[in-house]
Amino acid sequence: MAASKNANTNIPDYEYTDVNTNIFHIDSFKTEWLNRLQPGDVSFQPEDQDSSDALFAKEMGISADTMAELKTVCSLDSLRCHPEDQPPDPDVVPPDPTLKTLIQRKKKQDYRATLKISKNRHDLYADELERLTFGKKPETLDDMVAEGEIILNINVYYPATFEKFCYVRPHITVLMMGSHTLAELRDAICCVNDLQVCGEFSNMPDMAPDFISKDHFKSAFFYFEGVFYNDMRYPECQDTSITTIEWAKDRNFPTYTQAKMEDTRFVDLKIKVGFPYLYCHQGDCEHLVIITDVRLTHKDDCLDKKLYPLLTHKHRVSTQKCAVCHVYIGRWVTTNDRFAPSNPCLFCDECFRMLHYDTEGNKLGEFQAFPYVDRGAFN
Amino acid sequence: MSAKRCRRGEIELYRSPVTEDCEHLLSLFQKTDSVRFEVFSKIWKEMNFSHIFHGTVKHEKRSFSRLILDSAYGFLLPPFSFQIRVGGLYLLYSLFQSQTAAPPEPIRLALKDWEHVKKFEKDAMDAQHMDVIYILRQLRLQRAFHFSATPTRLVFRKLRKKESPALCENFIERASRPQELINIDLLEELTNVHDLYGTLKSSVSETSENSSVNLIRDDLIPQLRSTVMDFHKWQSRQGAADEDEDEDEGSGEGMSSQQECSRRAQLIASIKSKAYGEAAEARKSRRHRQVELDYTSSVAGPLGSSRSGRTKLSLKARTNESLLVLGDLYEGVTSSSTISQLCSLDFKPEDKPKDSKIKVLMKTR
Repeated sequence: MAASKNANTNIPDYEYTDVNTNIFHIDSFKTEWLNRLQPGDVSFQPEDQDSSDALFAKEMGISADTMAELKTVCSLDSLRCHPEDQPPDPDVVPPDPTLKTLIQRKKKQDYRATLKISKNRHDLYADELERLTFGKKPETLDDMVAEGEIILNINVYYPATFEKFCYVRPHITVLMMGSHTLAELRDAICCVNDLQVCGEFSNMPDMAPDFISKDHFKSAFFYFEGVFYNDMRYPECQDTSITTIEWAKDRNFPTYTQAKMEDTRFVDLKIKVGFPYLYCHQGDCEHLVIITDVRLTHKDDCLDKKLYPLLTHKHRVSTQKCAVCHVYIGRWVTTNDRFAPSNPCLFCDECFRMLHYDTEGNKLGEFQAFPYVDRGAFN
Repeated sequence: MSAKRCRRGEIELYRSPVTEDCEHLLSLFQKTDSVRFEVFSKIWKEMNFSHIFHGTVKHEKRSFSRLILDSAYGFLLPPFSFQIRVGGLYLLYSLFQSQTAAPPEPIRLALKDWEHVKKFEKDAMDAQHMDVIYILRQLRLQRAFHFSATPTRLVFRKLRKKESPALCENFIERASRPQELINIDLLEELTNVHDLYGTLKSSVSETSENSSVNLIRDDLIPQLRSTVMDFHKWQSRQGAADEDEDEDEGSGEGMSSQQECSRRAQLIASIKSKAYGEAAEARKSRRHRQVELDYTSSVAGPLGSSRSGRTKLSLKARTNESLLVLGDLYEGVTSSSTISQLCSLDFKPEDKPKDSKIKVLMKTR
């Protein structure tokens, strides 16, 4: 067995157990699976139970009676733990549980009952997101995801500027198909640093431009297994990875190569599942990217092509509120401001204008004001 | 953010009780010594195992289903014994069917484990375990599998402290290490190397009367095979001795016509085919081993047949002395370090220990 595994490197096995796999080519992985499976295994259409039962009986050489008996023995009814006419409420832990899991959950449930607030906002968000993602069927057949297509589960982590990063790893999770390009992943990543507006606008707060950093600085790259994939879709794009490559060249690192993000599909990649890679944009905004899962499509997946890249998890960051009203999210940050309790200080648009400008809109006093986008603004 | 942290921690907190519950169920199943789904579902009902999903709310259902399916998946694979793997399959099937998440959360099947599952199916087929095959087919029919790269999603979670996987010892098939180490691939490889070495040696030393060629033992591979075979036979005999005691208790379960044939025969067949599927053809070379045994005591001849009645004793003695362990015999056999001794001592005729071994052998006679 060991020999055959070594021979075929496209069967993913652990490099470090439960941490990451060794490197494999995604398209070959897909082929390996499809070679082993029958078309029915990846089909989205349900198969006929009776005909398959008949086939089974024929293949095994057993009589119809035996088959019927086998079916009853293996039926769902044989697993039911309660009388047929009194189904218990599945949302409540049954009384007097004996299973260890249930004993623990019972404790939790009893604790929950003592809480005043019964709903957690994060739970609501997660429920909502799940409702939006599971089992969606497209309107037209053209938008149907192909059978046997690859689905990748990709975690993109927020930049590690959090003190708590050791405990929480805030990230978004997107589902991508194997036929997607890396550029499509890039467009699916929403980072607050793409949305910042640069400049000081205390003299003319209404004139603050709508150009956000994403429009100004379009260069970005992904790094997977020794290759930098640059975004070169626009004429303004620069090769920001070359600095690293040159630097590494002088220092006896393994040589790195380059490719274009928009020309690279996921199926062309060679990756390790579970291994951290890099997405870098805005010059130095760095995100870890981990491909947590590679698998074939399933009939219960979202089958509408148009909905991909599909967001399945988003970390909700706590927002920073205005220093005056403590209600609205901060939109302006001021420095050297004698009205402000701190330096720098956050204000919402309303409070900022009321405090720093007279009714005609004239600036009062000396200060610098910068537009600010809160990192939790798009929760 | 702290709320988030707690919530994620919460689902992880269930991991150890879930594993304990699964292990408890399977240990009860193991005691029955049966591979029938009927027996399994009876235990399932007695334990009210379906209730394990109750009390989860909303999206927690899905993450809990994921957790428990991932935990149960391990029982389907080696190194667990055939019976536990059957139990693992039933467990996965039952969990998949009774989970509360809709659409159901699928079972993740890793590409590297496919061969194991295939082989498992073949073993069940050989032993005519209809319910096992039917349930496996049923799962495929219902598209219960995610055909994926890894058994779990990986997020590069490196642990500071290595959590011991704490595999349930009782579930593991007895010392399959020798069989694992000396499988058909290794034997083939060894044959190749052996032949190559032989030809090389003889081509080099044509003049020197082949004295150094004599160092090679021609029957090394057959002997290796038959030793492992013998070990397995002895092992299964040990197992059979245990089994005889509670055979009568478990025999009241035969129900449908395909199960009327002897349960025990099936069990043994399945264990054998599982453990020995690959090296089964090694049996024909048993004669070599017996000759070989005699060779070690430098008495050539068909002594083997006369000793056949005491094979068990001689094997015991042989194992004992080659392990050089005075303590518990079984303990010694299962530990991996001694296996290398078992092989190396036997197959290096020029080694010094051989002399001592002969002496011991003489003594035991």
